[in-house]
This record gives sequence, C-alpha cells and structure tokens, in this order.
Amino acid sequence: MPLGSTGRGAMLVFCLWMVGLAWAEEAPPRPPTVGIPRRLEGLVLPGTELEAIPSADRKAPVMVQVLRVYPHGSLFRYDIEYTGLEPGTHDLRKFLRRKDRSPLGDLPAVQVEILPVLPPGQVKPNELTIEKGPSLGGYWMLVTALGAGWVAVLVALIVSFFPGKKQGKRGEVVHPPSLAEKLRPLVEGAVRGDLSGSQLAGLERGLLAWWRKRLDLEKCDPSEALERLRRHPEAGPLLTQLESWLHKPGPAGVVDVQSLLEPYRNLPAGEMDTTGGAA
Amino acid sequence: MSESNSALLKSPESVVKFLDGVRDRIGTVVVGQDVVVERILIALLTSGHLLLEGVPGLAKTLLVSCLAKSISLQFARVQFTIDLLPSDILGSEILDQRTNEFRVNKGPIFTNLLLADEINRAAPKVQSALLEAMQERRVTLGRESFRLPSPFLVIATQNPVEQAGTFELPEAQLDRFMLRHRLQYPTPTEELEVLKRNMALGIRRDGPGAVARTEFDVMEDRPVGTIQDLVEAMEAAAAVHVSDTFLEHVVDAITRTRNHPDIELGASPRAGIALIKAAKARALIRGRAYVVPDDLYALAPDVILHRIRLNYEALADGKRAEDVLVEILHDLTRGKQAGKAREAVALAAESRA
Repeated sequence: MPLGSTGRGAMLVFCLWMVGLAWAEEAPPRPPTVGIPRRLEGLVLPGTELEAIPSADRKAPVMVQVLRVYPHGSLFRYDIEYTGLEPGTHDLRKFLRRKDRSPLGDLPAVQVEILPVLPPGQVKPNELTIEKGPSLGGYWMLVTALGAGWVAVLVALIVSFFPGKKQGKRGEVVHPPSLAEKLRPLVEGAVRGDLSGSQLAGLERGLLAWWRKRLDLEKCDPSEALERLRRHPEAGPLLTQLESWLHKPGPAGVVDVQSLLEPYRNLPAGEMDTTGGAA
Repeated sequence: MSESNSALLKSPESVVKFLDGVRDRIGTVVVGQDVVVERILIALLTSGHLLLEGVPGLAKTLLVSCLAKSISLQFARVQFTIDLLPSDILGSEILDQRTNEFRVNKGPIFTNLLLADEINRAAPKVQSALLEAMQERRVTLGRESFRLPSPFLVIATQNPVEQAGTFELPEAQLDRFMLRHRLQYPTPTEELEVLKRNMALGIRRDGPGAVARTEFDVMEDRPVGTIQDLVEAMEAAAAVHVSDTFLEHVVDAITRTRNHPDIELGASPRAGIALIKAAKARALIRGRAYVVPDDLYALAPDVILHRIRLNYEALADGKRAEDVLVEILHDLTRGKQAGKAREAVALAAESRA
C-alpha cells in the first residue's frame, strides 16, 4: 500500500530520530571538569601490576586511585578513577608505579583531559551576588497570608464553641432571663386568670424549680426532690395548694390563687441565675 | 381532662383497702420490694404488661405467684429457653388417636397471670408469638381463634448480666411492655429480715420423709380479694382524674425525648398513653382520685427508658439512657426550654420590653 505525504513525513522524522540516537550513543563522553571524578574501566596496561603513587602533594593536578586490578593473560586490566584538580591534559602515568618497584618501561601514556569550570584566565571564583526578591508578593508573603488566614479561622472556630454574652443592637449585653424573670409574667397571668394550659404547666414547673433551687435539691433525683419538697414546712403547703388548684377535680375557686402566688409576684430578678426558669 | 370518677366515688375506701390488702399479703412473704409490688399492681390495674429486669434470686417468681394467690388469679410460669417453640406457649392442635380428630391443646398462655421467665433466652419467633398474643389478647390455634382470659397480664423477666446466648428484645417489642422495672438488691435491713424469715421456715413433713420449707410453703391460700374486686379497682383506676396541666407535663416530657441531642429514637405516643394510665393507677394505689406531677417523675424511668435509644455519639461518650432521662427530667423541673414551651420566655421578654 503506497504511503501518503503524512506517512512519508512521519517515516522521515523517525529515521532522523534513529540517526540522532545512534550519533548520541557513539559520541565520546565530554571530559570531566575540575573536581568531578571519572573512571577508566577495563584499561589493559603492559608490564607487571601497577598501583597509584600515594600523593602527599597538595598541589598535585590530578588525584588517581586504582580501584580494581584483574589478571588479563600475562598482563593486568585496571579500573582507575581520577579526579582533576587543574584544567588541562594530564598523563596518568606520572601518578602510577609498579608494585614491584620496577621501572615503568614502555608503559604507554594515559592522557586525560580536565576541563575548566571558570572561563579561561579566571583564577578566583565568581563574586557572590545576592539578587533581591520581588518587593511585593512572593513565597513568604503567600505563606504569611495563608498562616494568618488559618489562625483567624481557628480563632473564629474556638470562639464559636464558647458563646459569650450576646450583644444587643445598641451594644448592651443581653442576659438570658433569670428564673424570677420567667416566673413573673406567669404569676401575673395566673393572678389575672388568663394563662393557657401549657403556661399553667410552666408555672407549676417554675415554682418547683424555684423551691428545688432554694433548698439546694437541684442535683437530687426529681422524684426524691418532690418528696422532700412535700415534707418541707413552706414548700409542702404550696404543693398541696397547687395540687388542689391544678390537678384536683372539683369546683374552681377553692384555692385563693392571688394569695397563693403573692410571694412570687415580686421576686428579685437576680436572685436565681439563668440555669433555672419556667418554661 | 375531665373524666367521670363515679366508680371511684362509689367505694374508694374499699378499693384502697383491697389494694392495701394485696400489698400486705405480699409483704408477709416478700420482704421489701415495695416499688416492684406497686409496679405489678399498676400493671394489673391497667392491663399493661410488665418487664422485670434483675439478677436471679430477687424473689420475682415468689412475688408474682403470691400476687396471683392473693387475688385468686390463675397463674402459669414458663421458663424461656433457646429450644422453646411458639406452640409450647400458645398451644397446638393434636391428633386424638382414639377419635381420629384434631383436638386443641391450649398452652400456658391461657391464664390470668403469666410469668415469662428470662424472656430474652427464647428465639425471636417465640418472643414474637408471645408479644403478639399480649397485644391482641387472642390466640389462633389451627382454624379457631381463642380469646385469652380476662384479666390477662404478662410479667416477663430478663437477666441483665448474662447476655451470652440471648436474643435481645427489639425496641418495637419492648414498646409492648407498659413498664420495664429494674429490680434492686434489698437494703441491708431488708436482707437481714429475709435471712431471719428463711431461718425460721424449718422443714415440712412429706409422708415418711421431709423437705426444707420454702417461702412458697408459707403463702396463705386464702385470697384477700376476688377478681370482681380487681375489676372494680380497674374501673376506679380508669376513673382517676387527669388534669390538663398534667397532660401538658407528659407531652413536654415525651417531646423532650424526641428532641434531645443524645437520643436517636424518642418515646412513642404509646409511651405517653402508658404514662397516663400508670399515673392513674399509682394515684389510686396511693389513695388519690387525681394524678400529680409526683406520679410522672416516679414512673417516667419505667415507662420511657425502654422506649428510647441513644445515638452513636452518646454511646461513644459512655452515656447511659438512665442518665439522659434524668437529665430530661431535671430540665423539665428546671424549666429549660424545649419544643413548644417557649411561650413563657416570650412572655418574659415582652414584660421586660
């Protein structure tokens, strides 16, 4: 099947890529720069076994280390690592010697090239220059802003768990009504005789709450607290009267509600805190 | 709620005397347990069923059998086990080989007072069969339907400790019990009296031999009242006056169980009905012709606790239903706001304005 123009183009690109790959594989490695170690592996050198000359010279241009030595017929094969300290071409032969201390003889030159890092002629490193970051924005600004936002959200959450005193529209602190404040309108309504059934129930519970709090029976079991209230010289008659008024069948008006509730009409607002209250 | 209390007004003293007589008779055999006796009487007067929860050895069986003898009620006891079948309780049709016809063999449920001992040990189908019969007061055997005797009361027991090999009653079935009461150990003084009475029992001669006497042997056979007395007492209980204020208290308490943050399943309307019925019976037992808030607070744990279920968060926090209900009752008496009971606060706000 004949290829179209697109197919031919793709084939050409593929061929060029393959050629480039082959060229890249065959290209000799770039010589190392100063301070970068490089290895010569499988290097076969004539003569008896070689070793690196221990260097005490701090100004030696190359550091040489014989890593491994393998017998290679009557010769030896070496893995050598060198690190150039001075740019230029160096002969590693100068840094090797025979283990048996015999002369090197016809040992061929082992030329290596070390490239400079700095431009030619420059001996000292570049001067340090500190670039100034952007004046507005940037990483630290972003991190600081995110941190501040996170703290603000955290504080808002914590504050929401501990509701404080609510502020009124004009800024004054609004306290929830105390037990006495809740009782007062119910007592007034009862005296007037215009309370609904649920309000009467609330009034009865409010009076019970009042006495439970007054006699410190709040932590007592409700059933037991009622029994103790009935035995109390002041609370007992009140409960009996409430019973007759609210629960006992028979003609209304047996109980004088006004005199019964008179002591609760003007209770001081702050006498009972907000934990109690008539519902 | 205005109800006719003519039955009560007819002979209130005789009813109270009858109930006191039953309590006294039980007191001759069972020491203490006044609250349990009261709960059993409430169940009896209201035809509600009672679930007693307590460890073995608290005289549950003795109590119930003594009650049955006191009022000459038929009494049957069934020990529930894993291999019990519905027919073991309800009865079944059996083939009479002499006549070659099926004959109905009624089970122990055909009685006035049935003690279902350790009800949670039976398989769910047995529990369901019993609870259905409790609800409908009727049993069908083969093609025939039979009414259970009146009065009919089931007192079931549960052991709260050993839960291995038991089938816990689901909430829907627990709801059929009007009351669930948790029995307490007797006080040291009561326990001392129990030991003294037991030591005084001695032995009972039985033909040439003898056996040690038990509390069952000292029960007097002569009843203190008849079923007719019981029926009159039931009528009197039904006629006890319930005020609108009391109804408001009950509705508020029940509503709070539905709105509480720790409760997943609140009390059903049946709980409110049971609370009213039980309060009326308690009022009668205490010689009152009307209910008072004390009845509500005393009965609320037995009526409500088995009808509510805590949510996962509350259970994870280690809360118990008892604690949550106490909290609700505290809030009720403290008057903390819930549901519709906000009118008073609105009034208070108005008056301050």
